[in-house]
Amino acid sequence: MNDHVQEELEAYALGAVDRAEAERIAAHLGSCASCRGAAAALAEVVGTLPDVVPLREPRAGLRERVLAAARGNTSRPETVRRTWSVGRVRPWPILLAGLTAAVIVLGAADLEASRRLDATSAERDKLSATLDSFRQGGRWWYMVGKDGFAGSGGVLVDPRAEGHAPFVLFHDLPRLPAGKILTVWFVSPDSTWARAAAFRPDGQSLQAVMITMNVSGFDRCAVTVEDSSWGPRKGSVVMESRIAPPPPAP
Amino acid sequence: MPDQQPSDDALLSSLAARDLGALASLYDRYGRLAYSLAYRILGESEAAEDVVQDAFLSAWRGAGGYRRDRGNPRAWLLSIVHHRAVDILRRKTTFRPAPLEVAEAQPADEDTALAAEKNVEHRTVRQALETLPQAQRRTIELAYFGGYTHVELSELMGVPLGTVKGRMRIGLQKMRRVLERSR
Repeated sequence: MNDHVQEELEAYALGAVDRAEAERIAAHLGSCASCRGAAAALAEVVGTLPDVVPLREPRAGLRERVLAAARGNTSRPETVRRTWSVGRVRPWPILLAGLTAAVIVLGAADLEASRRLDATSAERDKLSATLDSFRQGGRWWYMVGKDGFAGSGGVLVDPRAEGHAPFVLFHDLPRLPAGKILTVWFVSPDSTWARAAAFRPDGQSLQAVMITMNVSGFDRCAVTVEDSSWGPRKGSVVMESRIAPPPPAP
Repeated sequence: MPDQQPSDDALLSSLAARDLGALASLYDRYGRLAYSLAYRILGESEAAEDVVQDAFLSAWRGAGGYRRDRGNPRAWLLSIVHHRAVDILRRKTTFRPAPLEVAEAQPADEDTALAAEKNVEHRTVRQALETLPQAQRRTIELAYFGGYTHVELSELMGVPLGTVKGRMRIGLQKMRRVLERSR
């Protein structure tokens, strides 16, 4: 292609062209390595111009606004950084933030549909009761997502209180291909894998999955991607955690 | 072992993998600079914050499509901030901010502004800009911070379009040489 745009590259790098010119130049850069190289070099020079601007502090809330926007305009627990090791326990802040966020999400839900108000209130009460149950010796473990699930995770909660079943509060789960299902497993010390729950991500920022079996007697929990909601484990592990033994009785 | 901070390239790779922690790190690294740039262009804190939020969200969504031949990650991110801010500015046709030298005569709020001169990198860029003849410097500043297109600058400055383009080209070439010598 001979119709180079080198005469316009400086104005383009400075943002001093109108939209139509910018689109024409960008289209050319997509197919011309020579002009693209020149444009990249100019972009680096222009990219230093902000350094002459006196620095100002934005309001403190802007950081959280940015992160909240990235989370999809809903509040979620702070995403786990990749440096977290598998099974490292960061339970309380995430759990509290997660439950609080769940309440906020539920709060949004009842704005959308007043007919769900009663159910939402009941869910709030349940979450509140769950929080209270931790004061009675509840435990929790964080499972960090890996590979295609990096950035996601889940807190396994064992309230250990009368009337409160264990559950996992997942966050940032990616969507699954059709026919795939996520399975929560408890693993015993002799490496027996017991299926604790099976579900599909619902696309929400937070998703609670109830567990119908007791946590005690297992020393590890994990999540795999499976083709079926029954049968032995076949899929790869996408998140896992050790399950610490319960504290000795006083 | 000293705590190794991830490179900008590594942060963008993590962004592409939907790592919100990487976005937080990128914000911690460049959020203030991005806001300062947007504020410099728009002159309004609320609009500047909206631009920063929009730009980081755009980076979050577009990190997977980032290519090194668009400039380094920092330049790429700031170019998003710049484009967003200029887009807004151009919709406000009645207002264009003062060129840099006028803005400098109006010191920022002591409580919120930090002197750019304290930073060696900033000082180097400022010096590179100051080495330019007035016409080249003013053309670059009005284009970049004022949001004027080269056609508008031709009319505003009363010179042919080719002259505007020439001032931009020579000015940026000189800046590049000065910056390269300082590294």
